[in-house]
Amino acid sequence: MRQSELPDLMQALRAPVNAFIHDSRARIALIVNRSGQVLAQHGFTSSYETMNVASLAAAAHASSQALAELLNTRRWKHLYHAGVKRNMFLALLDTPLEPLILVVIFDDQSSLGLVELFFDRLSASVAALPQLREVRRSADAVSFERDLEAGLDRVFKSDAEPS
Amino acid sequence: MSDIYVDTVARLSRVSGVRGAIIVEPETGVPVMAEVEVGVSPQALAALAAALFRRTANASAAAGFGPLRRFHLEAAGGHVLMAGAGDLVLVVLVDDERQLGMVRLEAQRAVESLQ
Repeated sequence: MRQSELPDLMQALRAPVNAFIHDSRARIALIVNRSGQVLAQHGFTSSYETMNVASLAAAAHASSQALAELLNTRRWKHLYHAGVKRNMFLALLDTPLEPLILVVIFDDQSSLGLVELFFDRLSASVAALPQLREVRRSADAVSFERDLEAGLDRVFKSDAEPS
Repeated sequence: MSDIYVDTVARLSRVSGVRGAIIVEPETGVPVMAEVEVGVSPQALAALAAALFRRTANASAAAGFGPLRRFHLEAAGGHVLMAGAGDLVLVVLVDDERQLGMVRLEAQRAVESLQ
């Protein structure tokens, strides 16, 4: 995904992510691609925190995918980590371009069932975005770090702007 | 142990006027056992019913009424009955209000068997 294509895509993702947060009552949502590039976020307050979660989520997805293949399962529907106060839900959003990783953090104001329910709606909304049919894949690995930084800059810049 | 859940939803589903029965884990909103008519999503129903039950239970506790026992939702096309059953919640869909008395009785028996 190229830097020049990010603003439109990130703008397009804001509405479905905000609707998902509202409906599911989740606290935090983050959409990253498989290389950890941040495409959308809601709920984080610092780019450092977002970058860490994005990187770890991409790594968690990669390791769980390897585990799925080892167990002759094409892929997991989702991963769920139950915590004492907060829970994490990690799932793939299928798009015509590439699968995206959704990370959701929620507490006792929501539930796994609610997150799953509204995840299905988010998944359908994201898959239908025209921006995800038009953007092109990153041309090379060299652009990865630059795109990652650009994604974070744009996410926090757009959040800081008055709506 | 799981036979109890299978038997409970099967027995409730056989009652006239019942469109489905679900046993839900309220903290996660995930169905433990479900038997519903085609066209009803047990996952969606369990998630939303559990959220509703938990919030209503909080309201009951805030009012000083103690734990929520039963919750009856009346809609234009039917009724949703929910009852706390230990750590679980029983959800029953009823589309014939003439059968509500019988359904309530069966639901109470189901709750007792689940506790």
